[in-house]
Amino acid sequence: MRRRVKLLLYGTLLVLCVPFVFPTWWMVTSSLKPIREIFAFPPSLLPGTWDFSAYAKVFELQPFAGQYLNSLYIALVVTAGTMAVAAMAGYAFARIRFPGQNALFVVVLLGLLIPSEVTIVPLFQMFHGLGLTDTHWPLIVVPILGAPSVLATFIMRQFFVSLPGELEEAARVDGLGRFGTFYRVALPLARPALGAVAIFTFLHSWNLYLEPIVYLSTPARFTLPQALTQFVDAYGGPMWNVQLAAASMTALPVLVVFVLAQRQFIEGLAHTGLKG
Amino acid sequence: MIKKSLTGLALAGLLATTACGGSAQPAPAAAKGLRMTIWTSNEAHLKLFGDIAAEYTRAHPEAGPITFDPLPFESYTTTLTTQIAGGNAPDLAWILESAAPDFVSSGALAPLDGKLTEAGDLTPSSTKLWQRDGKLYAYPFSTSPFAVFVNTDLLKKAGQKPPAKGWTWEQAVASAAAVAAKEGKAGLVVRDFDYKNWDNLASLWRGWGAQAWSEDGRTCGFNQPEMVEAMTFLHKAVFTDKALPGPGTTADFFAGEAAMTITQISRASLLKDATFGWDLVPLPTGPKGEYSVIGQAGIGVFAKSPNKDAATDFLAFFSNPANSAKLAAYFPPPRASQLNVETLAKSNPLLKPEQLSEVVIGGIESGVVKPSHTGQAELSQTVRAALDPLWLPGADVKAVLDGVCAKIQPMLGA
Amino acid sequence: MGHAAFWTVRRRDNLVGYLLVAPQLLGSALFVLLPLALVGWYSLHEWNVLAGTFEFTGGDNYAKLLADPGVREALAATGLFSLGLVVLNLGLALLLAVLLNQRLRGTTFFRTLFFSPVVVSLVAWTIVWQFLLQADGGLNGLLEVAGVTGPNWLRGEGTAMLSVIIVQVLKNVGLNMVLFLAALQGVPAQLYEAAQLDGAGAWRRFARITLPLISPTVLLTSIITVVGSLQVFAQIAVLTQGGPGTSTTVLVYYLYQQAFQFHHFGYGATLSVLLFAIVAVLTIVQWRMRRRWVFHEA
Repeated sequence: MRRRVKLLLYGTLLVLCVPFVFPTWWMVTSSLKPIREIFAFPPSLLPGTWDFSAYAKVFELQPFAGQYLNSLYIALVVTAGTMAVAAMAGYAFARIRFPGQNALFVVVLLGLLIPSEVTIVPLFQMFHGLGLTDTHWPLIVVPILGAPSVLATFIMRQFFVSLPGELEEAARVDGLGRFGTFYRVALPLARPALGAVAIFTFLHSWNLYLEPIVYLSTPARFTLPQALTQFVDAYGGPMWNVQLAAASMTALPVLVVFVLAQRQFIEGLAHTGLKG
Repeated sequence: MIKKSLTGLALAGLLATTACGGSAQPAPAAAKGLRMTIWTSNEAHLKLFGDIAAEYTRAHPEAGPITFDPLPFESYTTTLTTQIAGGNAPDLAWILESAAPDFVSSGALAPLDGKLTEAGDLTPSSTKLWQRDGKLYAYPFSTSPFAVFVNTDLLKKAGQKPPAKGWTWEQAVASAAAVAAKEGKAGLVVRDFDYKNWDNLASLWRGWGAQAWSEDGRTCGFNQPEMVEAMTFLHKAVFTDKALPGPGTTADFFAGEAAMTITQISRASLLKDATFGWDLVPLPTGPKGEYSVIGQAGIGVFAKSPNKDAATDFLAFFSNPANSAKLAAYFPPPRASQLNVETLAKSNPLLKPEQLSEVVIGGIESGVVKPSHTGQAELSQTVRAALDPLWLPGADVKAVLDGVCAKIQPMLGA
Repeated sequence: MGHAAFWTVRRRDNLVGYLLVAPQLLGSALFVLLPLALVGWYSLHEWNVLAGTFEFTGGDNYAKLLADPGVREALAATGLFSLGLVVLNLGLALLLAVLLNQRLRGTTFFRTLFFSPVVVSLVAWTIVWQFLLQADGGLNGLLEVAGVTGPNWLRGEGTAMLSVIIVQVLKNVGLNMVLFLAALQGVPAQLYEAAQLDGAGAWRRFARITLPLISPTVLLTSIITVVGSLQVFAQIAVLTQGGPGTSTTVLVYYLYQQAFQFHHFGYGATLSVLLFAIVAVLTIVQWRMRRRWVFHEA
């Protein structure tokens, strides 16, 4: 490739990546600045004074460690549950011809079209009727069985559709029943798709904002996105560096894991079968 | 097939419970203990409340544990109402003065007459907003006048005289502009306004005798001459004199970034670790002379709460003269017997007696409450959206204000 | 004899099928269909939360919806927002994918950078941008260093909409970029070589080979992006609160205002039904278009 073209390409890429990277950079460095410096003109790329106190304050003001754990375990449970539900449903829709299959698939797909703001009030009433508000149950059960998992089912179905039919015939010849075929043959092959599902689902649960705000009222039970918005107080001052410190702690670990495992991340996504 | 009938059953079941009594909320389960929603997470406040609650629980263990549930201030009324809608109403709740008409007129709150201790001690001006048909529906635990905190160091550095009694808005703006020009800091900040929460501007426009709507709430006041004058003054101060920071600019007085700020005196606790010299003065006088604006907050008990009686009892305790004096440290009380310098000074160590007497007591006695109306949320948002064009450099003040009235007059008629 | 004959292979297969989809279906029924039905039910009522009244009003809410200028404004804002978002998102994703598909060293590094906002928490991302877009915030600070005075991003009618769109695009475009990249890499190199031998230029190769062959991916990502754009809420709530004026009050935000801020839950439910209908129609239309837009090998 010609040198000039190479330079042009690198230059374009560098310029383009600034708006993607700068916010994260700014978030982390500002959390380490004293409040006055955050709004200083001109903005400093690196903290003039390194001030780590905001990070300590985050834990003082909220049960942040507990909230971190809440977000983490909820996301993990939801991911595992969704993978199971979506794999089963996706396989059945893709490979088993049972009566009413198409109609039922459309019914399931309806979930993709519904924004959560639309269903939140009736869902809240349902859970309140069961005495389950201010618990994590709505945040676990609804994503696994409801609208958010429909995308996962869709992805799994797409993947299973692309499997060659011979595999199943071979399994049948080997004496495996339908469920056995699913569990022993199809599922192990679905690793890339399952990986993509795991990523989507984990991120979605990690970032849930409206639902925790509606269901949870005890700070100890909050999740991270919810906790992030609590760092402002009517009678206190706005605590920007604290808020940014909390935001950094929320974003950084996921980012680090992503950087380390990024090949699997991205290739899992690419193999979702969304290519059509 | 089975799925369909199960769905049908569940749906019918839910509809049955919702249709009962014409109410859409499932009946709240009777729980042990009381919950009060508040909008502060300030440690000192929470400690005080906790102490009061602990004392009550010692005397009344059957009431169960009492929890104070801080909701974010910005969306407090929204969040509270969503809780109520979902059948998760608290037993007691703080209520903003802006939401008072809606809550009081709705029948959602339980009347408190005969339940509070020494109710005769409550000043009539403090209870006016919380009454309907002669009954009191919430205890006005905080009546906080708007005043001006000034950063005396900044003023001195810019060569400005500190404000004296009877200072005018023109003087205030001139000083603020000087600080902004010379020191590069913000001049005057109307706290919590941020070009969005317009009701805080009452602390300015009352000086011109303007009001958002008439006393009976039926006529729009935005396009009246007094308001046009007041807003023209403000617009010039922001965009021409640069005395106030423009939209989208942040300046926190309590961090030393502004020369003056208009806010409620409850913010005084933020000056505990102040690194600069400061003073507290009454609002400047406007063309119509001296005036005072107050914000209020009330505590109400929800009529539908299964613990209504216990909650009312606790509120009576929370608001009794002894606790009222303790709360006076942060929340100026409605009790006439406590509206004096001695009581307030005991629990408000940061403010000097002159400040307390001039600003706090004087303010409460003569103050006009911030604007409030039924259908507050929608009204407020409509005004806010209609006022947005005003916060641009070349704005036609009269035209924008006419637009505001055009939008809200239909809503005020109700 | 009858027993064994009932459970044929066919019937056993069907049973397994139903069992496997049961959890997802049950979930859909409970958490999707039931709430949807309830929302429809609410839309037929006037629900005063504080007074605790729930009156049947039939089609009144729908009549109100048809006459409400706020709805028309919201639809206009939504149209503008979605259009801008979809065009910018898909365009940028394609551009980035094409750039990263070149044989260059370090494309993996850039790929990570472009994808990183996807994994950052949405609330964190939005809060950071809120600071950056203030009149005296980080973005204008940077521009100032370059000698340019930036506008008041979140307070000007046009710039506020632009800001919200860009914040959302930057957050998610990495996802579409990765999907396009995979699709691009699936295009057989021989096709390009053959075209080059025939004398086709770069643009022609792109239009005649690349685009048709990645069209299934384009269709699917556009459906997902359109549906997603109609649900964007947090950014608007944090950055502009629907302002200035009502310029960024998209339908889902208008719904939130009506239902949760003004406590018109019945009317809010009506708006939900409208939103759902729009999403459904757009999706069906796009899906139907696949015959026309998606290239199918013979």
